[in-house]
Formats: sequence, C-alpha cells, structure tokens
Amino acid sequence: MHAFHIHYRNTQGTLMRILTAVSRRGLDVPYVQASADGHGQCASLLLDVNTKQIGQLCRDWYAIVDVMDVRVGVPTAEMLDSATGLPSAHPPVSASAGSKNANAAMA
Amino acid sequence: MLRGAEIFLQCLRAEDVDLVFGYPGGAIMPLYDALDGSGIRHVLTRHEQGAVFAAEGHARATGKVGVAIATSGPGATNLVTGIADAKMDSVPLVCITGQVRSSLIGSDAFQETDVFGLTLSLTKWSRLVRSIEEIPAVIAEGFYWAREGRPGPVVIDIPTDFLKAKMEFAGPVKFTPKPRPSDSATEAAFGDKLISLLQKAERPVALIGAGAKLSGAISELRSLLDELNIPTFATVHGLGAVEPEAPYYLGMVGMHGTRAANMALHENDLLLVFGARLDDRVTGDPSRFAPHSKIVHFEIDPAQLDRVRACELPVIGDLAKTIPAFHKKLRSAKLPNWNQWRTVACGEDRAELDPRGLSQPTIRFLDELFGRLTQNSVVIADVGQHQMWAAQRYCSASPRGFITSGGLGSMGFALPAAVGVQLSKPDATILCVSGDGGFQMNIQELATVRRLNLPIKMVIVDNKYLGMVRQWQQLFYQRNYAETDLSDNPDFVEIAKAYRINAVRVQEDVMREYPVNENTADALERFLRSPEPELLVFDCAPEANVYPMVPAGAALSEMLFEED
Repeated sequence: MHAFHIHYRNTQGTLMRILTAVSRRGLDVPYVQASADGHGQCASLLLDVNTKQIGQLCRDWYAIVDVMDVRVGVPTAEMLDSATGLPSAHPPVSASAGSKNANAAMA
Repeated sequence: MLRGAEIFLQCLRAEDVDLVFGYPGGAIMPLYDALDGSGIRHVLTRHEQGAVFAAEGHARATGKVGVAIATSGPGATNLVTGIADAKMDSVPLVCITGQVRSSLIGSDAFQETDVFGLTLSLTKWSRLVRSIEEIPAVIAEGFYWAREGRPGPVVIDIPTDFLKAKMEFAGPVKFTPKPRPSDSATEAAFGDKLISLLQKAERPVALIGAGAKLSGAISELRSLLDELNIPTFATVHGLGAVEPEAPYYLGMVGMHGTRAANMALHENDLLLVFGARLDDRVTGDPSRFAPHSKIVHFEIDPAQLDRVRACELPVIGDLAKTIPAFHKKLRSAKLPNWNQWRTVACGEDRAELDPRGLSQPTIRFLDELFGRLTQNSVVIADVGQHQMWAAQRYCSASPRGFITSGGLGSMGFALPAAVGVQLSKPDATILCVSGDGGFQMNIQELATVRRLNLPIKMVIVDNKYLGMVRQWQQLFYQRNYAETDLSDNPDFVEIAKAYRINAVRVQEDVMREYPVNENTADALERFLRSPEPELLVFDCAPEANVYPMVPAGAALSEMLFEED
C-alpha cells in the first residue's frame, strides 16, 4: 500500500480528475480524504499499486492543470485502520427485506 | 449593457477565433442569435460529430484552436468522440455547449446532460459557467489551456440564461496561470548526459512524433537530423516532419510501418524520441520493445514519460527550445562514426515495402494520386486499411500535410475534418481518403461540402468490407468474417449525385497497367484539378491486406508480409 498526497487548487472538477486517474485503471480506493491545506486542498489516497502504476499516476495527476504537487509516502496508521475497517459485504445486502416483502412493496 | 451571448462572442474574437463549426438547438439559441455581425463565421454541419471533427481539421491544419458549438443534451453528447479524439492526438480544441438554464440544472430537465462530468476524463480543462460575470475569464482560461504545453480539448458549458442576461462589459481579459514547480531545470541539464550517451552508442536511431510538428520546430529538427545522420523514422502523426528524400529516413514505424523502420527500432541501442508518446501501435509488445535500447525522450508532457519503459534520460520541455539546445551542444562534441550501422539500417535489402505489396492496385492508385499533389496539398485519411496504405505511401515534406485520427482511430473522421481543412486552406488541394465503412459514418457532411461548394477531392477505397477488422478476422480469427461484410453498400456514386456532387466509380483493373495509361492519367488529373467537389469510388479487391503487419502482442521484428 502506498499513500499519495495530491495538493491542488480547489477548482471545478479537479478532485474528480484526480479520482478518475485512479478509477480508469480499475483500482480500488480503500482510503480517501480531501481537506483544506494552506491556500489549497490536499487529497490523500491509499492505493495498492505497483511501481509502474505509481509513476503513471503521479504523472497523470501532475498533468492536471490545477494540481500543484504530488507526493508518495508511507501510509499513516489512520489510513490503514480506515482501510481495514471497511465493511466487507459488497454489494450491500438488506438485512430485513425478504423477497416476499420486497415483492409486496413492488406491487 | 451587452447580452451574455454578445460578450461570449467578443471574447472568442479576442482569442483570434474567426471560424467556428456547430449545430444549433434550444439551450444554445441565444449564442446563435448573436452571431450575425460578430465577425465570426459559423459553418453549419449536419451532425455535431461533423462539427467537432471539422473543428479538429481546422486546428490540425493551421495550429489554431478549433471551436465546435452544440446545444445541451444530445448535442453535447454527440461531441464526445471528437473530444476524446482531440485528447489522444493533442489537438487544441474548445467545445462550447449550451446547458439548460441554471435554475434547472440537476433536475433532469429536457435535454439536460452533465456534459461537464461526462467529459472530465477526456478534457484538459473544463468549466460549467456559473454566472454571466464569469464568461470573459472562463473563455480566456479555456483557450489558454487548449493551446498551452501539450495542446488538448477544453469544454465550456454555459447555461442558456447567462447567454440571455445582460451586464456592463469592460472587454475581454487575459489569463495568467499561477506558478507551480517548474520543469525548466530539466531543460538546462540534459546536454552533457545526452552527448555521453551518443558517444557510447553504436546503433543510435531517432523517432519523430507529432510533438515535433506541434512545437513548430521543423527546420530545427531537420537541421539536427542532418547533422546526426542516424536512421530516422516517424509515427503516423510525425509524417511530413522529416524530408522523405533524406538518406537516413526510413518512413513510418509501427504496426504497419516499413520493414526498415521497424527493424531499426528493434535493433538500436540508443533511441532518441522527439515528441512521441510510444503508444502500443508503435512499440508492439512493450516487454520486447527495443530490447537493447536506452531511451532519451524529448517530451513536453511529463505524463507521457515512462509509459512503456523507464527512459534513460527524460528531456522535458518544448521541443522548440530543447532541440536547438541539443544541437548547440552537439556541434562541439566528437561523435563516433556510425557509417556501418547506417549502411545496415538503410540498406536496400530492407526495402520500404515488400515488392508484392507495391504491385497492389490500391497502393498504385494512391501513388498515382499522391504523385500529382502539390507541396501545399493536404491528405486527410479516415481509419482503417486505406489509412495505413495512405500513411505508408505519403511522401511529402509538408509538416501539416497528412491528417488522420491516429490515437483514437475514429472512423468517420476524414470527411468532416476535410471540411475544416479546406476552409482553412481554400487554395490548397484537399484529398480526403476514406473506406466504405467510415465514409458512411459521417456521409451527411456531403451536404456541408455541397452547401459551401468546397472543392474537396473525396476518395472511397471500397472493398465492401470493414477491411481492417476483416483482415484481423482473416489472420487471427480463422476467417470468421463476423459482421464485417458490407457487400450491400449503397451506390456511393448515386448518393453523391443526390447531394449534387460529381462522382465516378473506378475499377481497380485500371491500375494493373503501371504506369497507368494516358486516359487514366488524364482522368486523375481532372479529378484533382476540378474546382468542384468530386467523389471517386475506387473498387478495391475485397480481401486485399495491409502489409507489413506486426500482429498485436508481437515484437516489431516479427512482421508479417503475407497471409501464410
């Protein structure tokens, strides 16, 4: 796991551009946080990526017009804790709606 | 007080826009209402995809920013393929889309689409305008990013109420980017290491891509290559950057590149890349790409580095600056003698095409056409077999003389792009080469050609198949020609006539006599010199293939030259 910290100007769509660089590669994002950081914003992501993907992602992010800086580092304990704390059920399953009730609701 | 639409158009004029392509509709109507007297010529295409490809053609032919306009919803979504195309091929493009009025955004209003969200991963920059006051700044910034660095597509989505609203207008504004850590240190420091790599190299080569042309540094590049005198080849977008007669030039490289170029790219021990992103059509199997090579990558966009393999020396910056800096350093350096390597790489036994390929009627036909073109002519190729034949046979030294959809490979590109090119170069011969599949994808633009009386010379290489897909089916899917048969094509000659465009059909047999007889030569000459739009349908053998071919997943050295 690697931690990425992307500093950017909080303009329209910049955070989404940062995230689509990840999603277009089919990567899961076990941890993401975006918050104010000095004059701009910082998005912190935890990703399970190889060396080649790290290079590609960093360059893709840096090519985004309003990204100011990209850093790669070791994940913090908070990031790892959040990542392991994710619910395992996917997709979410309703605990109460049995098929009979669901059919009744649809009728 | 001016309406938002008038302000919008004045800001476009301030960005040197005098020609736009588009298709009106509900949300963008206020902009169309203000067009008259704006100083901007609007060309109505017959589909929004036609508009965006025409804008791309204009941009690719001139280096200016192309502008396409569409309404909200389906108008905007019809632009998407062109936006993706411009992203892949680094084309400066601004797409202006009308949006439902601001109070309705997010309500699933009639013809509402989230075009901003839809195009986020395809655009270099985009904005949904949030007030009439934002219009000047958004246009200035949008055009700045479309042109700056590696050019690319920009979307400006504007709600219709801001186009109708009024405000005091102080005039267009200029955009000044905020600074961020600079890459300029790389530009200054590369010289010594590069010279050292050259001095140790035994088999150096140069690969030329689109970036060489986009930088405008063609004369600097040619001068550098003359001095280096090493085997040199180009990507499909690099064609025309190097003088074809240069003794070290080996032609196009890649999946359908020449044997000489592909072998040199495979065998070299030092690869100088000038403005190419080394995509899979150029490299073949990335794990076996240039196995002995150290890579020096001249590139303006850091995001393009190390995509295939880590390069030994990245030279990040505008080629207009880095090439002269390299050349200056080179003049005082002592370089090895590469005569033996050059003799091998450029030797006659590595002829550019297999002789059997040269006897193909379609290749002879393209040779006959290209041989009659003047220096300022432009060839626009669609996507497929004809595109690769055209790229193989294109032999002009005109840097913007060969235009095609290379990265995205968008069928239907050529005809509307030719509209944009012909309007940009009214006195030039514009030759549009399509296949029978691609031509039908934007055939409606024949109406635009007719309306504007554009003297485009259109050629359909008609093999009654989706030829390139069929070729792959033949070679790699045991001749299972699934859904590629187009033998029920319409009569293109009659269709052209319905659009009041001259058209003629030519059988490939006329090319079996080579050189062609006097009658055929006269007919081709008349076709190219006509002041009217003309269509020529060339009946091509259904199962003619493009060779050489590097199969997907193979190394560049593993070219096929025939079926078996």
